[in-house]
Order: sequence, then structure tokens, then C-alpha cells
Amino acid sequence: MDSLSTRHLLGIKNITENDIHLILSTAKEFKEVINRPIKKVPSLRDITIANLFFENSTRTRLSFELAEKRLSADTINFSSAGSSVKKGETLLDTVNNILAMKVDMVVMRHSSPGAPHFLSNKIKANIVNAGDGTHEHPTQALLDAFSMQEKIGDLKGKKIAIIGDILHSRVALSNIFCLQKLGAEVRVCGPKTLIPKHLGELGVKVFDKVEEALAWCDVANVLRIQLERQQLKYFPSLREYSLYFGINKSMLEKLDKEIVIMHPGPINRGVELSSDAADSQHSIILDQVENGVAVRMAVMFLLAQKN
Amino acid sequence: MKVLLKKVRVFDSNSTFDNQEVDIAVENGIIVSIGNIEDSGFEDIISGQNLCVSNGWVDAGVHYKEPGAEWLENMDSLHAAALEGGITTLVGFPNTNPTVQTKESLSYFGNFSKNNLVSFLNYAAVTKNCEGKDFTDMMDLHYNGAIGFSDGKNPIQSSDILLKTLQYLHPLNTILVTKSEDKYLSMFGQMHEGITSTMLGLKGIPSAAEEIMIMRDLKLLEYSGIKSEQPLLHFSTISTLQSVNLIREAKAKGLPISCDIAAHQLAFTDESLLDFDTNLKVSPPFRSKSDVDALIEGLKDGTIDMIVSDHNPLDAEHKNVEFDVADFGVLGIQTLFSVVNTYSGLDLQTIIEKIVLNPRKLVKIESPKIAIGEKANLTVFDPDQEFVFEEKNILSLSKNSPFIENKLKGRAVAVVNNGKFKILG
Repeated sequence: MDSLSTRHLLGIKNITENDIHLILSTAKEFKEVINRPIKKVPSLRDITIANLFFENSTRTRLSFELAEKRLSADTINFSSAGSSVKKGETLLDTVNNILAMKVDMVVMRHSSPGAPHFLSNKIKANIVNAGDGTHEHPTQALLDAFSMQEKIGDLKGKKIAIIGDILHSRVALSNIFCLQKLGAEVRVCGPKTLIPKHLGELGVKVFDKVEEALAWCDVANVLRIQLERQQLKYFPSLREYSLYFGINKSMLEKLDKEIVIMHPGPINRGVELSSDAADSQHSIILDQVENGVAVRMAVMFLLAQKN
Repeated sequence: MKVLLKKVRVFDSNSTFDNQEVDIAVENGIIVSIGNIEDSGFEDIISGQNLCVSNGWVDAGVHYKEPGAEWLENMDSLHAAALEGGITTLVGFPNTNPTVQTKESLSYFGNFSKNNLVSFLNYAAVTKNCEGKDFTDMMDLHYNGAIGFSDGKNPIQSSDILLKTLQYLHPLNTILVTKSEDKYLSMFGQMHEGITSTMLGLKGIPSAAEEIMIMRDLKLLEYSGIKSEQPLLHFSTISTLQSVNLIREAKAKGLPISCDIAAHQLAFTDESLLDFDTNLKVSPPFRSKSDVDALIEGLKDGTIDMIVSDHNPLDAEHKNVEFDVADFGVLGIQTLFSVVNTYSGLDLQTIIEKIVLNPRKLVKIESPKIAIGEKANLTVFDPDQEFVFEEKNILSLSKNSPFIENKLKGRAVAVVNNGKFKILG
């Protein structure tokens, strides 16, 4: 049986194209499983998974928990957002607690880029990065790729636009790495202050106008404006953002082509995406949520095989 | 004390024995004889293959932790680490707690220097608590032993403060040592801004944050109209290609400036951070390969006057944490020469110029030459000795060296200063 090239899923940057294909094809099998009358398989029986969420999260945490339950894993949950304790101490202390509890796998979300790398150097368990600050969110990128493939087939040569706050987005970075590895062309669009200056060196071109991005792409992955991650001022107001970078249904209908609209959620309705666009036939946003469970099952299943 | 240095090559451009292989006899801290000397009658004899000697090495950019954070480094551990690195003179930044801004503070360090192999000198603060607002009593500090002025790790943000400091210090024939960083551009930054920071999701510190401040300071110095034979303004730990170019051009125009780099800048680039190693988190950050090449070029053509360690001991609570929580800074005093010798590709004459002759000139500390009758302030070294630097060899109380497990080339083997002598290693 094929296996992953890594014991951890820290990011998409350091996994191979084969790893991605393996995860996506395994996810396809799990998607079939979770649509059966009996949705549960015994694959991870006796495996203990700790979900450590050091940052607010609802859907990602639920998605992982559901995936773990479907795989029959034992789970423990730890959530701590906005702790007053110095962050580093909390993480190191938590590491020691995990060691003591003898867990097999850790799913971690943390506000510090590289926090899962830090953890992977300290403990033996498999680590799944569920989002580390402005760095990566690999399972989101994998479920996005899975959902795109499901909708438009092989991604080789396909055009994907990522629209919004690219600078603070771990979803954007993981998407870029993932889609490029699968042979798609990725471009971004947003206010220039929210586009990393050196993104061009990754082979990613930039659209200044959202209409041009929509006209170019097969799929538009629209990102949430992450005000909570912006420590400095980057643009004048949400009003101006929605006027010049927001996407609504009439813009999509003017296009003389099929287009797929995605969003990692939660949507700021009326800011980056209007309700009529989010709920339109172009949108596969709810498919993304369903596929998230299957993809996370695949990731955890394959990582557990590595022990 | 009666010591013989056997068959040592002299590196001292002020000495008539420069570049000659000689024996040197030191008695009670004074060089008593140079030439071909009989081995008998000495308490210690230093001999070996390819040994060299120069005036005692100087590290003119060190962060003292005592007083205020003695658990990171105390004067004893700093003394031991400096000595092991072959360094006989340290110049510390004022960012201790309390800040070095009174003559009492200066005498605290002066007392440590008495009867020790290593001398501890100070840059005194320009502004109270290095906050960039109100001036310290700079004249009083100057006349009580401060060998220069600096707000240390705090860059001087106010143009007005910088200009007035230059004007005020100029008649004192002292030096203003300043770190160049526009705090608005570097705010929340974690590493050099480039493709690597983009891929790591870490906020970048653009090269422009440093260059803008150098441009500003040069403009202010020009505007002040100050003429001086001696450098008045010294740019501390520069890191970018453009910074080197700006300083080169300004020197050609005759502005009274000088600059240094931190030795570790020669060994790493931003790409070294791909694994989020907090022991590589420094300020200014590791830049790109072309920046490192420009630094080496600047050292060769004299644009960069000296090399310092920027030694900044930090413990696990500051370093063994997530990258964006970790503090900036690395150890360096113990490996200063070894790192430069291993990574720079510079010849020994140039290295000695950057860590002995130029710092002594710039901060105006005594520079005895290697001659009979002179005070012996000497570092004996083996430039070819290769060794693996291990954590257990670190003499600082903190262990945040980026060179652990690295193979380094060249090290000090003995030191003579203040009438004392020590064989190292």
C-alpha cells in the first residue's frame, strides 16, 4: 500500500505531489463511507488523538472531531484562546502534558507560525497542523483541491484566483502550494496592502481589480477579511472593501462562462461575498464543508499508518 | 609571571616585527624580549604549529546582562566566555537594568576590569532608559569613562534627538553608535522580508527599514555641517547591500562615519530559517545571499570598519518557544574570531584589522604595539585549528548559540593582559 512521505502534516510546502494525490484519493473512499447508512469505520480504534486549539475555531474543530469519531479514534479536546499566560509557556507545558497522556496524534491550531514545527521537534506523536497563524492550513488546502477536482476534474492547467486578504491568510499560502503542485495556475487579487510583496517569486501574478480576476479564472476562492489578524492598518474601511473587492451575483452573471465560487468560511456576508453570490448555483461552499470531513479522515488515517 | 611565546607570527601593522615569526618573552605584563629566545627560566611556554599573535582582540558590541538579568549572563560567565574567545576588551551597550546612564554604573564595570584579564568598557545611554526622549548627562558620562554613546538595541527614532546628539557630542571627540531601524517599518516583523518570510507566513522586516534610517542619519550629519577627522557617527550591525553602498558613498564624500557588522551575519541567510529555528532569530535579521556578499565586499574594501559579536545571551524561556514569541539575539563572544575566520574568506591581516586595530582606534582605547618595553595585551591564536563547537563548551550561562554542532576553524589558544596570562581550551 502507498504511504505518505512524512509522519506529520505540518504544511503543504513540505509534502510531495504524490502525497497530495494519495490523500485526495483516500478521501474519495472516505467520502463514500460517510455517505453510507453506517458512517463509522474502525480504522483508528485504539488511537488517541488530542485536539489542541489555542485559537478560536468552530468549523475546523468540529470537522476534525467528526472525522476522528468516524474513524473510531479516542479523542481529547483542549481549547484555550486568548490565555493571559505567556503563550510560549502554555505551549511547552501543554507539550509535557501530552507526553504524559501518551497520545498518538495531535491536531493543533495555534496563532504562531511554525508552532506545529516546534511541537514536532519535542514529541513523538504525529502532528496535524490545523492552522498556524499566518503560515499554513494544509487540510483546508487539501479539501479545497478535493472540492475543485470534484467539480471541474483534473486541476492541471486550470486557473484559480484567490481573492481577498492574502497577506494574513494561511489558506492562501497552503492553497498556492497545493494547487501549484497539482499543476494549476494560481493568481491572487486584493488591495495591494494585503498582497505579500514577494509573492511574484512564487510564480503568482496579481490582479488589482476583482472583475479581471473573475474574468480570468475557472475557480474563485474568496477569503475572509481577517480583521482579527491585522495588527496594523491595511485598508480604510469594510465599506470601501466591499464596494471595490466584494463579489455579488450580478458580477457572476455578467461573465460569459461557468465559474465556481469557494470560501473557507466563516463568510462575512456582504463584505467579501454577498449572500446572493454565496448561495448561488456557482457556490460549492457547503460541499467544501462535507469534503473537509473526508479529507481529514484521509489525513489522519494515512498518518497513523506511518507508526 | 614569566611567559615565553615560542615561534609566533606577529600580526600588528604598527610593529616592526609585523608578519615575522619570532619568540616573545613577557614578564610581569611587559614584553621584555622579542627574537630568538632560549627556553629556560620561564614559568610557561606556549608553542605549537602555525601559532600567531596579535594585540588582544576587541568585541565592541556586546549586550551585558548584569546588572538586571544575571541569570542570563553574569560578569564571571561573560569574562570566561570572552577569554575563551580570545577577547581582552569588551564594549557593552547600555541596555542593562538599571541602564548605564550614571557614573556609578560606569564605575561598577570599571571595578570588574581591575585585576582581570578582560576589560569591560561601556557605551553610555544617549537618552534616559534608552527611550529616545530625554538626554542623559552625556558630558558627565564622557568625563567619567564612557567611551561612546548609544541607545543600544533601541534605534533612535527621533530625527531631532539624533541631530542634537551629534551636535552635543562632536566637541567631546567621542562617538555615537546607533542601530539603524525604522520601527514603523519593522513593527511586528520576525525575519528578513523576502520570499522565505512569505513562505513561512512570518511578517518581514524589509531592508528598507535599515536603509531609510542610514539615509536619514547621513542627511542629518551633512546638514549639521560637522567636520571631523575622527568618525563621529557609527552605524552598528548593518546588514544590507544598500546600507554598505550608502556608507561607502558617504565615506567617499568625507563624512565622519564608520560602521560594523555582527559576525553571525557572515554565516547565515534568511533561508536558514526554514525550520523556524529561534536560535537564528536576530536583529537585524539574516538577509539574502547578495547582502552577505556585499558585507564581505564592504569588509574587504574598508567600508565596514569592524566586526562585533552582538553577543546577547537569552535563556530557554526566551528562545525555546514559538518563533514569534521568541526574543531576538544570539551568543557570539566565544566564537567571534572562529566564525569570521570560518565564513568570511578574509585574510588574517584583514580580520585582525576588524577585531583589533579598527575597534581600538574607533572607540579610542589604548593600542599597545608588539614591541620591547610595551605593555603585553596579546591574543595568541591558531588560525588553522578545526573544532566542532558543542553546547557543553559554551561558557555563557545562556546557550543560544546558532553555531552548536558547527565545524569552525581557528581559535585563540592563550591570552595575556593586565599582568595576567591564561592558556585556553
